[in-house]
Amino acid sequence: MKKNVSNQNKAGRAVEYKETLFRMIFLLSALVSVLSVIAIIVFVFAKGLRPFFGKDAYSFLSFITGLKWDPNNNVFGILYMIVGSLLATLGAIALGVPIGLLTAVFIAEIAPKKIVSVIKPGIELLAGIPSVIYGAFGLGIIVPLINKISPTGQGQSLLAVICVLTIMVLPTIISLSESSIRAVPKSYREASYGLGASKIQTIFKAVVPAARSGILTATVLGIGRAIGETMAVMMIAGNNIGGLPTSIFSKVRPLTTNIAMEMSYASGRHQDMLFATGVVLFTFIMLVNFTLIRLTKRLGNEGPLR
Amino acid sequence: MNTKNWNNRKMKDGFLRSLIYLATAVTISILFIIIGFILYKGIPGINFNFLTRNWDNKTTFVNVKADASKAGDGAEGYISSLGITVKEGDKNLVITKIEKNSAVHKAVNMKNESYDLKKDDTITKIGADNTEDLSYTDALKLLKDSDGTLRLKVTRPGGGIVPMFVSTIYIILLSLAIAGPIGISAAIYLNEYAKPGRILRSIRFAIQNLAGIPSIIYGLFGMLLFVQTLKMQYSILAGSLTLSILLLPTIISTTEEALKEIPRSYREGSYGLGATKLQTIAKIILPGALPGILVAVILSIGRIVGESAALIFTAGTVAQIPEGLIGGKSSAATLTTKMYWLIKETGDLSSASSIAVVLLVLIILLNIASKMITRQFLKKTGNG
Amino acid sequence: MSDKVKFTVKDLDLFYGNFQALKKINMSIEQGKITAFIGPSGCGKSTFLKTLNRMNDLIEGVKIEGEVTLDGVDIYKDFDAIMLRSRVGMVFQQPNPFPMSIYDNVAYGPRIHGVKKKSALDEIVEKSLRQAAIWDEVKDKLKKSALAVSGGQQQRVCIARTLAIEPEVILMDEPTSALDPISTIKIEDLATELKKQYTIIIVTHNMQQAGRISDKTAFFLTGEVIEYGDTEQIFNKPVNKKTEDYITGRFG
Repeated sequence: MKKNVSNQNKAGRAVEYKETLFRMIFLLSALVSVLSVIAIIVFVFAKGLRPFFGKDAYSFLSFITGLKWDPNNNVFGILYMIVGSLLATLGAIALGVPIGLLTAVFIAEIAPKKIVSVIKPGIELLAGIPSVIYGAFGLGIIVPLINKISPTGQGQSLLAVICVLTIMVLPTIISLSESSIRAVPKSYREASYGLGASKIQTIFKAVVPAARSGILTATVLGIGRAIGETMAVMMIAGNNIGGLPTSIFSKVRPLTTNIAMEMSYASGRHQDMLFATGVVLFTFIMLVNFTLIRLTKRLGNEGPLR
Repeated sequence: MNTKNWNNRKMKDGFLRSLIYLATAVTISILFIIIGFILYKGIPGINFNFLTRNWDNKTTFVNVKADASKAGDGAEGYISSLGITVKEGDKNLVITKIEKNSAVHKAVNMKNESYDLKKDDTITKIGADNTEDLSYTDALKLLKDSDGTLRLKVTRPGGGIVPMFVSTIYIILLSLAIAGPIGISAAIYLNEYAKPGRILRSIRFAIQNLAGIPSIIYGLFGMLLFVQTLKMQYSILAGSLTLSILLLPTIISTTEEALKEIPRSYREGSYGLGATKLQTIAKIILPGALPGILVAVILSIGRIVGESAALIFTAGTVAQIPEGLIGGKSSAATLTTKMYWLIKETGDLSSASSIAVVLLVLIILLNIASKMITRQFLKKTGNG
Repeated sequence: MSDKVKFTVKDLDLFYGNFQALKKINMSIEQGKITAFIGPSGCGKSTFLKTLNRMNDLIEGVKIEGEVTLDGVDIYKDFDAIMLRSRVGMVFQQPNPFPMSIYDNVAYGPRIHGVKKKSALDEIVEKSLRQAAIWDEVKDKLKKSALAVSGGQQQRVCIARTLAIEPEVILMDEPTSALDPISTIKIEDLATELKKQYTIIIVTHNMQQAGRISDKTAFFLTGEVIEYGDTEQIFNKPVNKKTEDYITGRFG
């Protein structure tokens, strides 16, 4: 009898060990994400900030306000890239949000079920297409088109970047807007119709405003995608070595492409400066992320539309 | 209500309605134009060879045992001593046909390993003579009269995507093998164990941040940590490790969604029968979440297949079937990175588009698969 | 004036797909009175209410036969549904203010109908909120979200929102079922006050409520009108046995 009890205890303890062991494994796995974020920040920042310290330091001010990128002569200015990145993102959002939102309205409010079942897989496909393919498309179709209308006779331009980025943010904006429009309670629609509003008025005056948090989240996600996009943009941006863009036909060199273009052969300070570009890009992304996290928290707390 | 207002409203409604249609039309036509463009450019380059061959031409010296005594006069270009038929190529001989018991099936390379010659291989050197120095008839005669061990320089034509395809699969498997268990375990922790507090908050914060970091930053990080600091060089392991981090948010959140779907009653039922937490997770929760986990895997595969910025500086752009996990021989281009390389380095949009067609097919298949799983899953819970 | 007929309903049938929800309804609804529809759940009273401003049009698979006239004009043939709804306003079971400020909620209807001037809107908003007896409670928080006030206040904001489109008829679909007793009394008082200017039709589960505020009552059962008459008569001397059973709580 006594032995039995101790055996049971032993078995119980073994079970407990196992439970604790796995609990730790699960916890450690979850902590991998935290470690990764820390590691990414530490590694990228440590290397990217190196050129601005020490006895041979490069002036951070001339880095951040410089208008010329000439690694061979130790000139590293990225202001024109920052401007290029921001303009491209702004353009893509200015075009992509209205188009995406209206498409989402069509899918959620107007289209019959049958048409939705055809369009939605199409949008999902658009979301799954690799950025390199968008780049190829931009290079094969958009750049030649712009070539024809551009006063500079140069297709690779800010405009080309904006066009391709617009297309690339569309799926994100459409699918998130659609689901937040669908989440608007029926009672708002009824109330609006009950006041004598037409379908279109109901959509734009009651439903879309009620879905605004979701649409805003979609927009911020779109900004993140646009500012971080690399491969597609690199093929069509022109990647000039200096100078602020003066029109939509100007060449640009967004931050991301600066990194990707030269990383494969850069070394020493040049490589560090590419990481410094990464640090600037990262800072923008962090801003976007924080906004996004606050937005989703708000969504989670209030519900989008209570 | 006065008619002026009424007409105004109708006009505004009509205007907005046409804007909606216009925007939708734009979206749809973009999709069609992109796919149409890729197919138009890419389809002509797709053929059996494209799908089955190596990317680079491969030149090898082989030894074959020729037997001049084997007589026989076949068609034009038939070489009885070797049992093959050749035709005149561009300063070389192209093998057009190989008999079943041909000696070239027993060919060995310089390391004495078997190297089976195939149709379309070209012979550029016979013994000590380069084919470009010989006339076609002389070359034929030289081959026909050979007896005993004969050294041939053979070039196998490339132009196919096999190495990229294989590398893509290797990287998919490797990345999933790393990120899958970690991501699923993390989701289990978050959904089954974690209590609200600082740890949970920071984990969630980290995941949300990871999800927002662009690929190129992952590429930079992977290059710095795995390629340089850990000395893995451009390799599939460095690439896969980088991708694993990039995939974590997708895997964790999709798995978590699936875990949340499992009704509380299942868990209670299991605990009620005296099962421990771990047993409940292993026997009840994970099997129930399997469709969701599969969807997570498919989403991850899609992401890997489409990824380029995070891979070019970690896995490289060499078209070869990787050997080993780290080091120079394990450097490998996936289909997508090769496509990028083609456009950037050679401007060859047509070959790039041919790869793009393959990519599109893969993406569509993955989309269908994830849809089918979700639908199947919905049906099941609907009945249950 | 008081006996003028507002709605006339003739042989109205309504089908959801194959299911017949309303059977041969005939009824005259008088102007300037409160008409109550009572009956157990699923009897068709709400469905019938919604035929009066064509809210059923929004549901797929609904088929309507028969005739409904508003001031003698067929609302299904000679009316635009949108035009109709601005004359026949509706208050719903759950208070459903839009997630906007109180001001924007009340101004929603006038704006839809083309009122743009700020001063005109201000005036309409104040007038409607006063009419809905909630002005004093919300006048300092017009710019606050309508979702931030209590359920009873929300419902009165919704009534104000309906009043702002200056309808002739107000349909109320169980307007107090989601409210506490005190808020319920306020809404009832309000309804009694409003009938001076508006024709009010109210669907209610609450028999006392029907008895307290309505002038006419219709009792619905399985899609039919069992009895329709003066509220006093229906509650005190019902003709039909089923009506009596329901009124006295012996039903079902």
